[in-house]
Amino acid sequence: MKIIQTENLTRTYAVGSSTVNALRGVSLAVEMGEFVALMGPSGSGKSTMMHLLGCLDTPSAGSYWLEERDVSKLSKDERAEVRNNRIGFIFQTFNLLPRLNALENIALPLLYGRHGGDVNKQASEALGRVGLKPRARHKPNELSGGERQRVAIARALVTSPALILADEPTGNLDSKTGAEIMRLLVELCAEGHTILMVTHDAKVASHAGRILQMQDGEIVEERSTDVTA
Amino acid sequence: MSPLNTLLTALRGISSNALRTTLTTLGIVIGVASVIATLALGNGARAAVNANFRFLGSDQVQIDQDLELKNGQMQAQGKTLTYEDGLNMPSAVPLVDRAEMTVSGSAKLRYGRQTDDINFQGTDAGALLTVISQGQVQPVGWPSNKPLTPKDFIGQGRFFTDAEVLAGDSVCVLGYQTALDLFEGDNPIGQTVWVNRKPCQVIGVLAELEALNVEDRINTRPNDGLFLPVSFAIQNLFDTEPWVTIIAHVTDESKMEEAKAEIATYLRQRHGIPKGPDGKYADDFHMTTKQDVLGAQQQSAATFSLLLTALAIVSLVVGGIGIMNVMLVSVSERTREIGVRMAVGARGRDVVAQFLLEAVLLSAGGGLLGIAVGILTVPIAASLNQGVALLDPNSVPLAFGVSLVTGLVFGLYPALRASQLDPIEALRYE
Ligand SMILES: Nc1ncnc2c1ncn2[C@@H]1O[C@H](COP(=O)(O)OP(=O)(O)OP(=O)(O)O)[C@@H](O)[C@H]1O
Ligand SMILES: [Mg+2]
Repeated sequence: MKIIQTENLTRTYAVGSSTVNALRGVSLAVEMGEFVALMGPSGSGKSTMMHLLGCLDTPSAGSYWLEERDVSKLSKDERAEVRNNRIGFIFQTFNLLPRLNALENIALPLLYGRHGGDVNKQASEALGRVGLKPRARHKPNELSGGERQRVAIARALVTSPALILADEPTGNLDSKTGAEIMRLLVELCAEGHTILMVTHDAKVASHAGRILQMQDGEIVEERSTDVTA
Repeated sequence: MSPLNTLLTALRGISSNALRTTLTTLGIVIGVASVIATLALGNGARAAVNANFRFLGSDQVQIDQDLELKNGQMQAQGKTLTYEDGLNMPSAVPLVDRAEMTVSGSAKLRYGRQTDDINFQGTDAGALLTVISQGQVQPVGWPSNKPLTPKDFIGQGRFFTDAEVLAGDSVCVLGYQTALDLFEGDNPIGQTVWVNRKPCQVIGVLAELEALNVEDRINTRPNDGLFLPVSFAIQNLFDTEPWVTIIAHVTDESKMEEAKAEIATYLRQRHGIPKGPDGKYADDFHMTTKQDVLGAQQQSAATFSLLLTALAIVSLVVGGIGIMNVMLVSVSERTREIGVRMAVGARGRDVVAQFLLEAVLLSAGGGLLGIAVGILTVPIAASLNQGVALLDPNSVPLAFGVSLVTGLVFGLYPALRASQLDPIEALRYE
């Protein structure tokens, strides 16, 4: 099944009287279980693409099917539901809530929408999956950068989403910690998760099965790598 | 998000900045306290009138002599309001079917070797309650909600009868303390005492009484007293015709104003009071009804209430704006948090619920504090309004409701603003 399929996906921003074409008709298909890296110079439209695929934004033109459902014309609340159920986000700056401990941060997506089951148990399992069980009661400022990103990954996993979107997940980490995070993502991919990741780092991108090169709002190059993870 | 989780989230939100939160609610505290005090004044006025005039029936007109200060003494102004004025009233005034007269003065009371300078009251048989109520008293320890009947005021023996009043019999009833002073524990009933050298048989002693108003209990002496048939008192204890107080019973409660007009016409005629050049009469008496007292009492409370209501409104608005302000600051400080919540699936209504609940919790906290302050304020309000203020139990839930509504109204805008944030912008916010 195609997790992602876009056709002519376009996003323009009006800035004053001029318009910025951040995305110029991108057509892309991602199969279930793929690990795709998105590369390209600053301003080439990578984040814009991630926002659209993550249903945080709606395209100016074109279509987007997530798990074969057209999600390009959903209302704000419908998009919130899609994000809650089907998508997990990993950010460069982690974006954990500072007043919640690790477990509570992970549980957050479970509190919105109807997930059922024991929230604490599910959050605990996700925390275990990223190897941070002993840090359950730690606040984000009591965790290292790598640990924070693990908590963020657990939060992205906890609802068992169809798609995990990571915008420069190693951008704020040193290379050793970054490598650990990449190992985790590769493992998750091997377990069947579909991952789309933005990175500037070719070494980081080399973990993906497919690398898309963007330029000026278009995908200009696409190549496969042979991964031996 | 479930209501419980929304509540927990909101509680966390406000507890993160306790000092700012507390200061913000100050306006609400004052506003809510004012609501409590305002209602206490209204309630107090009602209670005071009910207590002080619970014996002046709503079908009665009290007629008093106009007085003036002459040579250091209160004297009747114009013609004296006499016993006969009252006696003839029921037959001359169609709307009045009965009139009770009372008179008061001072006399020397003697029994054996004991003497006592005393203020006496001459009354009708039926006027016992009315007369005693002038002192606004009750038997000691009487429960405030228990109705009082005339016989509850009698400790020993009985009060005098209509027949004894008509005949001008020389009988009397003593106050509790007066009886103790004079008889030093002996049984006074049936004994003869001397009032200004006139013999008089004791037929009853009043129960031990206390002022209704707790503050008045130190400076009033309700147990000193001597009650005599009004006819006997007028004939024997005054050098000149004394003025009386008349309680006129009106046949139809709905015609109190007409009755007052009829009584005035009757008295003006008897006292020969001409119509002045300005069309008014220079009356030498004045009339009071329960409605009059109620009106005056409520007017005084109303003026005070108006001030407090204004204070309540102003401080609630100020408090509300304070809450709006602190919520706007909070929304902007937590923009990123809102972005994260939206990214993981919070819908607009989840965000509205979270911030609205925070605002309501803030104002509710202020409300609770305000209720406490308000309850403590009631005695102060009372002291500023002649003791007339009484906590109205209904005002507590009402004031709490007001604080909740304030939170809802002023929290709505910040909450809506939070919910309308763009998740991408919010996530990028520094
Ligand atoms: N809200 C916005 N309003 C106007 N222009 C925008 C907005 N967001 C992005 N852009 C423009 O769209 C283009 C693509 O931006 P985008 O953030 O997708 O780039 P990016 O590839 O993620 O860059 P980087 O590697 O620096 O993160 C840029 O030219 C940017 O200025
Ligand atoms: Mg970017």
